[in-house]
Amino acid sequence: MADATTTEATELATLAGVIDKKMTRQLKQYLDLCARCAICKDACHQYVATQDVKYLPAYRAELIRRIYKKYFDKTGRFVPALYEGRDPDENLLDELYETTYACTGCRRCMYFCPFSIDTQFILSVAKAMLIAAGRGNEMLGQLADAAIFKGDNMEMFHDVIVDGFKDVEKEVQEITGDPTAEIPVDKQGADILYVALAGAHSIRPAAVIFHEAKESWTLSLFEAANYGFFFGDPVKARKIADRFMDEAVRLGVKEVVITECGHAYRVAEIFHEAWAGKKHPFKVTHVLEKIDAYIKDGRIKVSKAIELPITYHDPCQIGRNGGIFEQPRDIVKAISKDFRDMTPNRQEQWCCGGGGGIVAIDEMNEFRLKSGMKKVEQIRATGAKIVASPCENCRLQMEGLDEVHQLGVRIAAIMDLVVESMPLKGRDAAKV
Amino acid sequence: METYLQITSVWGVYLSIAVFVAGMAWRIWEWSTTPRSPIPLGMFPKPRTGTGRFFKMLKDTFIAPQSFRIEPWMWLAAMAFHIAALGAFVGHLRLIHEFPFLPSLLGEAGMNTFAAWSGSIAGVLMLGAILFWIARRTTGPYKTISVPEDYLLLALLFGVVIMGDHMRFVYGSIVHAATYREWFLSLLAFKPAFPVELTSSNVAFSLGTHMLFVDLFLIYFPFSKLVHTVGALASNYVRSE
Ligand code: SF4
Ligand code: SF4
Repeated sequence: MADATTTEATELATLAGVIDKKMTRQLKQYLDLCARCAICKDACHQYVATQDVKYLPAYRAELIRRIYKKYFDKTGRFVPALYEGRDPDENLLDELYETTYACTGCRRCMYFCPFSIDTQFILSVAKAMLIAAGRGNEMLGQLADAAIFKGDNMEMFHDVIVDGFKDVEKEVQEITGDPTAEIPVDKQGADILYVALAGAHSIRPAAVIFHEAKESWTLSLFEAANYGFFFGDPVKARKIADRFMDEAVRLGVKEVVITECGHAYRVAEIFHEAWAGKKHPFKVTHVLEKIDAYIKDGRIKVSKAIELPITYHDPCQIGRNGGIFEQPRDIVKAISKDFRDMTPNRQEQWCCGGGGGIVAIDEMNEFRLKSGMKKVEQIRATGAKIVASPCENCRLQMEGLDEVHQLGVRIAAIMDLVVESMPLKGRDAAKV
Repeated sequence: METYLQITSVWGVYLSIAVFVAGMAWRIWEWSTTPRSPIPLGMFPKPRTGTGRFFKMLKDTFIAPQSFRIEPWMWLAAMAFHIAALGAFVGHLRLIHEFPFLPSLLGEAGMNTFAAWSGSIAGVLMLGAILFWIARRTTGPYKTISVPEDYLLLALLFGVVIMGDHMRFVYGSIVHAATYREWFLSLLAFKPAFPVELTSSNVAFSLGTHMLFVDLFLIYFPFSKLVHTVGALASNYVRSE
């Protein structure tokens, strides 16, 4: 009996040790400072939609804080009761799993917090602890491993992938009406390495636009999505991003362009250099920054073809967390007649509820759709018939919301809308 | 009563100031010796220049415009409390030295009236904010996320403020700053002594109790979430890195 308790105590202490391993000045300050004022309460779409305290940002962080107090804070070790110091036991881990993998990492709570406490960052430690306890989300973990496997065994996949690209290339030739249009792969010395998502939908429109803009580009063999980041393992996340970062170095490109995806942009632009511990020898940009510049420089022609009222949803990882607010709006304004912004917008934009990998977690489906309540209200208030958004997870979530709430809106990727507004020989001929 | 005053208003003061200063120094040392996060944690929009970032940090810390937008009432309570607390702190500096200019401008009686008014306003504002916080913390979701630390701090603050207000409102017109100054300067000179005006009346008990709470508050301060007084600057600076 005594033995069992000592082993258990050691296990708990080892798990708690994850906090110590991950300790940084910022984490310590976040854990020390929070006043539990709950100003962050109504910033979180999940709390607002459910009114369930477990989704209150400060409470999510509180679970980690209570372990920290019990094990690592001098006062907390002296009088744990004062802080309700806790062990990372089964109960706590169960609770932690739900609150942590539910969090979309939108950081809207941080935006409103008087001390700018980054709950997502605290929860990255929670994920590390869950992974150490063998309780990381399985689905996200498997998707991450599959991506790494693909990176390690490229020779196995190479030809199949390139064949797939050839099919898309034919479509691009048809749309543009130019039989020489191509989707370059492995092109040494291209200016741009474009990193798309799995599937043709994020390749086709970009290829059309690059072709029309006469861009010197090449398509990455790897997809931008990063389940290692969602899973919460920075080593995996880094390996997944390394795949196309190394490719970019190998091909000697000047710029890595990330497709319409939220987290992939933040991973590439904000996190990867820190993980890799070295500076990129190239720029990282979002594809919409490029397209906005093409339009403004007259490299591609667009018309105000979209008549229906249209609105724009800022994906959290591109807006608040990525710093791109205006370019996508400018694009949408350039191709539409009736643009209506949501309220609030830009840095205060509500999270749609689809971020952080939650769309891949089946057991959270119902909760996820419920958490989109604020987004539904916002979309309704604009009266828009099209919602444009440059993040696949956002679009998946909003398509779900559209279905459940019968919003009658089209959820669209911006590149698709741009292609629809371009005069294109092949497609226009086919239409007549 | 003498012993009570000796404990709370002499030895307690020395002890609490020592613990407060050492504790805060230790806390700041701990923060500064922990390696910073390799991951940048800033969010957008962020200022382009270093000066811009510095002023944004001050704005986010001392005005917290975002917090106002989402919870105006909580913001108001917090602002009222912090400004009143700052006002009270400045007012207490009269314990060390009479303000320059003001007394000659207002006259001695005028100065006392001015102090009475400003002190009363600050005292009432602080009390109001504390009562609001107690009410908030004991209801709904706020109660669920609260831990004993929160209640302890509110209790200590309540004690400090209620006894301060008591001295202000009950003895304010009888015992003036000059009397307290005599006691406080004697502490600073390490020759603690109590003027008869204090020991001969019931104000001694009020002062003693006020100081008891002040001592406990200061001792606990560096080990509590109140380190946000210093830390908020750092974390708000990281916001725009
Ligand atoms: S707003 Fe900030 S300080 Fe207040 S409870 Fe939330 S995380 Fe803590
Ligand atoms: S990051 Fe977003 S989802 Fe996570 S707790 Fe904060 S507001 Fe909620």
